[in-house]
Amino acid sequence: MTSAPENTPGDLTKQGKLYSSALAALEGISNDATVLVAGFAGCGIPQKLLRGLAESGVSGLTLICQGAWIQEPGDFTVTDLVASGQVKKMISPMPFHPVHGGVVKEQWESGELEIEIVSQGVLAERLRAGGAGIGGVFLPSSSGTRFAEGKEVRQYDGCEHVLELALKADFALLRAQAADTLGNMVYDGTARNWNPTMAMAAAVTVVEVDAVHDPGGIDPELVITQAIFIDRLVLSD
Amino acid sequence: MPGTHLEPASVAQRVSQELFSGAVVALGPGLPCYLPGALPDTSGVWFIADSGALGSKGGEAHGNAVDAGENPVSLLSGGSFTGVVDVAGILRGGHTDIAVLQPSQVAANGDFVHWTSEETAGLFAPGSAVDMAYGAATVIAVMPHQYPGGRSNIVSQCSLPVDGAGRVNIIITDVSVIKVTAAGLELVETAPGWTAEEIIAITDASLTVSSDLKEMTFNVPTLEPANKVYSSAIEALSDVLEGSIINVDGFAGPGGMAHYLMVGLRDLGVKKLQLISNTAGVARVSAFGVPNIIDHSILVENNQVVKATASYPVSPSASRPSAFEEAYNRGETELEVVPQGTLAERLRSGGAGVAAFYTPTGAGTLLGDGKEARIIDGKDYILETGLRADFCIIRGYKADTLGNVIYKGTSRNFNPVMATAAEITVVEVDEIVEPGQLGPEEIVTPGLFVNRIVVRPADFSAYLEI
Repeated sequence: MTSAPENTPGDLTKQGKLYSSALAALEGISNDATVLVAGFAGCGIPQKLLRGLAESGVSGLTLICQGAWIQEPGDFTVTDLVASGQVKKMISPMPFHPVHGGVVKEQWESGELEIEIVSQGVLAERLRAGGAGIGGVFLPSSSGTRFAEGKEVRQYDGCEHVLELALKADFALLRAQAADTLGNMVYDGTARNWNPTMAMAAAVTVVEVDAVHDPGGIDPELVITQAIFIDRLVLSD
Repeated sequence: MPGTHLEPASVAQRVSQELFSGAVVALGPGLPCYLPGALPDTSGVWFIADSGALGSKGGEAHGNAVDAGENPVSLLSGGSFTGVVDVAGILRGGHTDIAVLQPSQVAANGDFVHWTSEETAGLFAPGSAVDMAYGAATVIAVMPHQYPGGRSNIVSQCSLPVDGAGRVNIIITDVSVIKVTAAGLELVETAPGWTAEEIIAITDASLTVSSDLKEMTFNVPTLEPANKVYSSAIEALSDVLEGSIINVDGFAGPGGMAHYLMVGLRDLGVKKLQLISNTAGVARVSAFGVPNIIDHSILVENNQVVKATASYPVSPSASRPSAFEEAYNRGETELEVVPQGTLAERLRSGGAGVAAFYTPTGAGTLLGDGKEARIIDGKDYILETGLRADFCIIRGYKADTLGNVIYKGTSRNFNPVMATAAEITVVEVDEIVEPGQLGPEEIVTPGLFVNRIVVRPADFSAYLEI
């Protein structure tokens, strides 16, 4: 059951889903929330929303993201949220650079931060399952490794497949190049990365966009993430 | 005195000798990212970065594109962008010929550890390496032969938890080329200035020396894109065998249906076909079309169809049964009814290397009969399996010569998902253009899924003569 929308369709086109600030767009987020954060390396990171999350002061967060690798000066990434002590757990395929380490490694070593490693394709598939109403999937990736430990294994086509369960979150923080006020979105280059999948897999999806158009301002053949997945928009700085 | 250690660019040149024309090659972070730079831009090799760049090259920056190693990259002409979930499907679904990885350790049995050291032994960085290793036909490990401190990266047994069990086929280091065989590691090439004995001395695993031991060479092979353009529907489908399973695109009406390829299939006359399609041919008997529109019925009436797997196999009007319904009622065809979303999901699974999945659709109904039922988080699901075909015929708007396809409106429907779930995918388009003429953000079906392209002739009619 979904609750009745607060805005009528007419209001939506006028006001859209656009919020005035990152903090406002994150309304309702609470301690111990599970949050999807898009981005791959420096591409497609919702920096303003991450700053808003820091500002909100919520703690005990579980972040599901690509990882916390090398950071350009001035960037605000999940590393900064970990540094501010707001993160309890990270679920990631590449949690930090094995050589350069950093605050994520330090907090993991001291036991402050729990890290669950998931192979990238498995994580993507689990989120897709969560977003597409699939309960679980049997995947070939990982049989015979620690990633398969404790999981149900079945033979298909003569090789082992591991049952991976769907994953969903409370919030998704995304970054798009442009959106219309309804939330139809396009991306630029590899900034697409986790965004379309994460958009489907959270109760509340918030997007930081570089430009907002009126409905019709984005070519319908080019829309990658459809507005039905998007709840809130905020303009990037 | 041993020779020097090869530079990454030289190692990449040696790795390029393992590639072939049209190969789909997934690259992990580190040394593999040098590989695109070793080949000319015209090689036609599809380099896949798990960041979502398909057909990337190194050296130049696109602005907002990186490879698996976070290096700025641009796309080759005909490259496109996608998201990580679709990359996972490309890696896992049998679409990747070669994975090139830089493991931290490779063992004598082909086990490997990815991007992990003793300092972070409990914490590892699989990235997409696991998906690549389990999905690719061949796995190449590219790595320094030794750690900076002098320890061997090639070991008899991995000292850290492995990211792939027995997955590596060949190891190319800065001093040697080693094959992983059932009998263990075989040294097949040494870098200039190195002897087999010197390689053995710095390797912490048993090496047998090939009787055909060679010195590594660095000449780059001449590769070119596969020719995917066929002159006619009949030529593009001439090797369809009796009994083939065929994905047939289209929603219900004339839109997005490969009429020209259907006619080709009919004219070839090949029998006992099993069709996977949203309908089993209802355009002709519904308000979508007119009585002489081409649909699946032309194959049914030609006695070529023995089975349909479809979500909408019957005519919307009981008084106007479809050709398939009539054949079914005569006992000539089999039918498997699958709800549309489940059909799409089964095809997506087949194309993305998902063997089976739990879906709520159909739980507790006739559609769930005989299938495993399971409660997950209090909700009822049934188990459905992935679906793949031998051939797929789809209808695009435009394709480039590499096979990248765009669609128009709802004619997109099943096309993109079906294209991923067949051994041979054949696309019929209005127009073929050169690589680079379809925008990298615009391409819906990347060319690596498409094997053959035909132009629907301008004078082709989707209506039968009556």
